[in-house]
Amino acid sequence: MIGLALRSLSARRTAFTATFASIFFGTLLIGSFATLLETSFTDMAQVDQDTLFIMGAVVGSWGTIIVLFSLASTLGIAVRQRDVEIALLRTIGASPGQARRMIRIETFLVAVVASGLGAAAAWLGGRALFTMIRNGGMVADTVDYAGGPASLGISMLAVVATSLVSATIAGRKATSGPATIALTDGTAGNQPMRWWRALAAVLLIGYGLTMAVITITVTAHSDDPYDAMATSGSSSILVSAGLACIAPLLLRWSATLLRPVVGRAGSTGHLAAHNTSRRAPLLAGVLAPVMVFTSASIGTLMLAGIDGRTLAESTPETDTITMLNNVVIGIISLFAAIMVVNSFAAVVAHRRGELARLRLLGATPEQVRGSVVAEAAIVAAVGVTFGALASLATIVPFGIARHEGIVPDGQLWLPPLLAVVAVAITLASAAVAVRRSTARQPLAVAGAGQ
Amino acid sequence: MNSQPLNSQPALSVHQLTRSYGDPDNPVRALDGIDLAIPTGTFTAVMGPSGSGKSTFLNCAAGLERPDGGRVLIGGEDVTDWSESQRTKLRRDRIGIVFQDFHLMPYLTAEQNVALPRRLAGGRSDKHLVRELLTRVGLGERAGHLPGQLSGGQQQRVAIARALVSQPAVLLADEPTGALDSTSAREILTLMRHSVDQWGQTVVMVTHDPVAASYADSVMFLVDGRVAGRMTQPTADAVASQMAHLDDLVSSGVAS
Repeated sequence: MIGLALRSLSARRTAFTATFASIFFGTLLIGSFATLLETSFTDMAQVDQDTLFIMGAVVGSWGTIIVLFSLASTLGIAVRQRDVEIALLRTIGASPGQARRMIRIETFLVAVVASGLGAAAAWLGGRALFTMIRNGGMVADTVDYAGGPASLGISMLAVVATSLVSATIAGRKATSGPATIALTDGTAGNQPMRWWRALAAVLLIGYGLTMAVITITVTAHSDDPYDAMATSGSSSILVSAGLACIAPLLLRWSATLLRPVVGRAGSTGHLAAHNTSRRAPLLAGVLAPVMVFTSASIGTLMLAGIDGRTLAESTPETDTITMLNNVVIGIISLFAAIMVVNSFAAVVAHRRGELARLRLLGATPEQVRGSVVAEAAIVAAVGVTFGALASLATIVPFGIARHEGIVPDGQLWLPPLLAVVAVAITLASAAVAVRRSTARQPLAVAGAGQ
Repeated sequence: MNSQPLNSQPALSVHQLTRSYGDPDNPVRALDGIDLAIPTGTFTAVMGPSGSGKSTFLNCAAGLERPDGGRVLIGGEDVTDWSESQRTKLRRDRIGIVFQDFHLMPYLTAEQNVALPRRLAGGRSDKHLVRELLTRVGLGERAGHLPGQLSGGQQQRVAIARALVSQPAVLLADEPTGALDSTSAREILTLMRHSVDQWGQTVVMVTHDPVAASYADSVMFLVDGRVAGRMTQPTADAVASQMAHLDDLVSSGVAS
């Protein structure tokens, strides 16, 4: 089984590079903040301890939610795309359990190596983060970095466990039906959405909106101005993570609505509109990070803007919080961008055979590239729209709490700018991914993706 | 589309076609100077042992591969030196291809798959023609189904309707029944025979199955990249014994 798993890994390098990259960067992100948390448990002044603890625990846990979530979606793509191969294994006598075990072993091998390297990088990353905090004067010079095996080990464990759980769930889905059904081409992406996704979405969105309401009704009247930030700050991330859970549904509805409009854009638009609506679960893996990126960046930066305008005097505490916000947004954006690039590479790599097929039928390379970029445009438009909506869960309550009203007083140029960035990342990653797969002659590729 | 006017021009002809693979010092000659003309409105089967060059022949005729030497003429027009983009246009305007693995787009319905070549060509898809083609191949009721909801034989019939939508000069079929059970295979072969007899279509089919070849007007045998014989009014038995004879020739090394 391990031999089969190893060979199957080397046969699908692109998809596994994508998995590897998301596990590596995920561990790096979680691990870096975990070392701050570990450092905060060493002997130091109470105020320094608080700073490090808030940074490590609060920021780290937001990051962790996003990382674990996107990890699950990348692995979901990687496994779901293999339905034909898994069906093939089962027709020659592999039991569903054996097929699932192969998927788990593969995932485990990739996860251990990638998270190990990620943890090593996090040890350096955490140190760099800590040095930045100390040089910024937010903790005393006497405090030393104390990140080590405990925090990095726990981060690794969390990432490997998440990978295994999502591979198991995806594997169960891929092996649930009779083996013969999956052998017919193109069932990938047609499965109905699972009930627990809807449940998770309701919980996350409900939690985010509750925090928004609490901000307006309770913490807005609190003596400490940061209470309102504490309750509303994560709302945009929570709501967008909830929307990400039902991304397949959002994409199917939106793409179906957009079909008549996009269909006017010639054959490329026609192909793109049908692919996004009929195989929404595949592209939903790209839609999810686009929504989270848009929502988290708009929400957090507008929050920081409102905070800067309404609190006149600058204290060490405000400095820390401003920096915290910037670090959060920087890291989350970077991670979301990596996820977008990653998932597009995984989705397009799987479709090499299908895209070559279009060329055999008389599509020019430009038409093939155009249809994939048009899909990206649909995903970007849907993602930016819902992401911007989700960001309101932070902006509106915090604006009210700080007496700026529903519409903030400044920085209104920021949301359109970030939306443009999100669209640009999505389109560029699609263009890069598809250029690689149309570079070769169609005949050489057409058989490969079957 | 009904019975094209009789044309003295062959639908497809090749002259001295050569194609080699591998390193230049020790090339493998897949095609070694093939000459043939396929008259318009006929059904021709191309047969040969493995490695005889029949797939390479089809790929060169479809413009998927460029021959090393010789000429390819589609409907009297020399397309040998056409650029990649010209050959792309050729594939969607003048040639219909049917593949062993159907090659339907999984996220498009039967109707949309049939209309696809016209859409790629930039034209508006003729809904009426698409519907009529689907009705002709016996799938009028299933126009809205996705390929995943159709059987293999039904998918191949959609693929044939798609190949016919451009009203091509020639329909090239590469082992069209290779992935089908014998009942579905018979239906597909009858359909192709029908397209020649009733609609005046020209069909060239690569196959290794003597029963499939017996549906053709004539069979052309290839061995080691050369034309090694021809049979008109083929029967499955005659084709099978000829194939066995050719296999013997190849294994004893006489033909090479």
